[in-house]
Amino acid sequence: MIQMFHVSKIYPKEVVALSDITLHVQKGEFVFLSGPSGAGKTTLLRLIFRDELPTSGQILVNGRNVVRLRESKLPALRRSIGVIFQDFKLLMDRTVYDNLNLVARVLGVPEAVSRRKIGRLLKEVGLLRKADETPYKLSGGEQQRVAIARALMSDPAILLADEPTGNLDQDLALDVMRLLVEVNIRGTTVVVATHNRRLVSEMGQRALILKQGRLMEEIH
Amino acid sequence: MFWERLRHLLDETFLNFRRGGWGVVASIGAITVAFLVTGTFLLLTLNLGTVVAQWAEDFQVIAFLADAITPEQVTLLRKRLEGELAVREVTYVSREEALADFRRQIRGQESLLEGLKTNPLPASFQLRIQKEYQTPTALGQLAVSLRRMEGVEDVLYGQEWVDRLTSLVQVMKILGIVIGAVLGIASLFIVANTIRLAVYARAQEIEIMRLVGASRSYVQIPLILDGTLQGGLGAALALGMLYVLFRATLWQLGASAPLIFSGGELGRFLDVEYRMGMVGVGALLGAVGSLVAVRRFLRA
Repeated sequence: MIQMFHVSKIYPKEVVALSDITLHVQKGEFVFLSGPSGAGKTTLLRLIFRDELPTSGQILVNGRNVVRLRESKLPALRRSIGVIFQDFKLLMDRTVYDNLNLVARVLGVPEAVSRRKIGRLLKEVGLLRKADETPYKLSGGEQQRVAIARALMSDPAILLADEPTGNLDQDLALDVMRLLVEVNIRGTTVVVATHNRRLVSEMGQRALILKQGRLMEEIH
Repeated sequence: MFWERLRHLLDETFLNFRRGGWGVVASIGAITVAFLVTGTFLLLTLNLGTVVAQWAEDFQVIAFLADAITPEQVTLLRKRLEGELAVREVTYVSREEALADFRRQIRGQESLLEGLKTNPLPASFQLRIQKEYQTPTALGQLAVSLRRMEGVEDVLYGQEWVDRLTSLVQVMKILGIVIGAVLGIASLFIVANTIRLAVYARAQEIEIMRLVGASRSYVQIPLILDGTLQGGLGAALALGMLYVLFRATLWQLGASAPLIFSGGELGRFLDVEYRMGMVGVGALLGAVGSLVAVRRFLRA
């Protein structure tokens, strides 16, 4: 589903974010991307949905060569990937409903269809009663779950989560992880970036360890 | 799908418009001012041009005759005038005809003439001039030779005026184009800036839309429509104000206008082509301005 061949990313002033990464994530897999802050986890995720281009190497996502993707094909790639951002990227002045509906509008989904879908997703993440609140009034954990629900709006084949348990306590973190596992069980390929080693070992899934931009080891 | 898209387009456009607030007002205002000034020049140039063209067309030299002139002298004079190379056509206007003409011109204010016991107007020959003699020097020579003829008391010709007005119209045309261009470019920047502010205000939303798979045009088109709307609206507003100003001016001129425009058409507002052109150019300015702003943002 996701393949990288000798991928490097070097920012201006010779800042090496990733160097010579080769990896393969199978369709339907659940993979952790672990490592300390600044190891390049976020950069690696951003390469997958082409928010960044690699300095060298090739990336295949769902059979598409992301590096050589034309601008006109970018929307299709992004629609097949749901992203849970580290900073959530929620619109704080819109309701939870409107935040989710933004995706439906981009996809051109009729309002009647998206209303049902938003209802179902909010129920799954346990926020149905907060649909008309602005994220501003929600707790960090609740905002996190809104971000998850929004990432699932497009029924993506791939779900990327960047530190989805970042500032949650262990119980809430496990709740969020269970949610992601459920999504995975229904067929979505899931990649979770986290610096929380304890979480990785508790979940017992495959994990790729990044250190200073290099892929160090794989734990199965 | 199509209706969803269309609805999105309109929703977004009007959303931008409403959120723009004073920025949008300033933007439309700038375009209105630009088009009001340019439109005023256009209107003046066109009207003055028409008047001058008409004057030039039936341009005449008038030879006023002495009151004591005899019919035989008139016949003789006519022969001599018809013999002049520069003269294309000779019309005799008797004193009575001159008075009747004058009455017609000041229709509504005939009371001005009530106190007159005798006719103060002289008889005259009105001369139409050959095209090739319609130059200041040729007319000057003609005037000199006419004055020497017996029975001619005074000669009146307005070539100088026609020349002056023609060059005035030329200058106004150029001035109008220059001012129009400058103001047009200025309003282009103002619209670009307004749209840029609108884009920045919604930067996060646009970023998210792009990240969840919105195409470039999906994001751009509502913003460009927004600019187009601002431009078109500004120009239309200017046109409305120009019309009111035009009407008010005519009304002000009311009494004296018939003398100035005697016989000719009394002031014309811009034709439909010009009106549509102005709104079109306004909309285009808005579109280009917002395109510049949006492109720059999305490239970054």
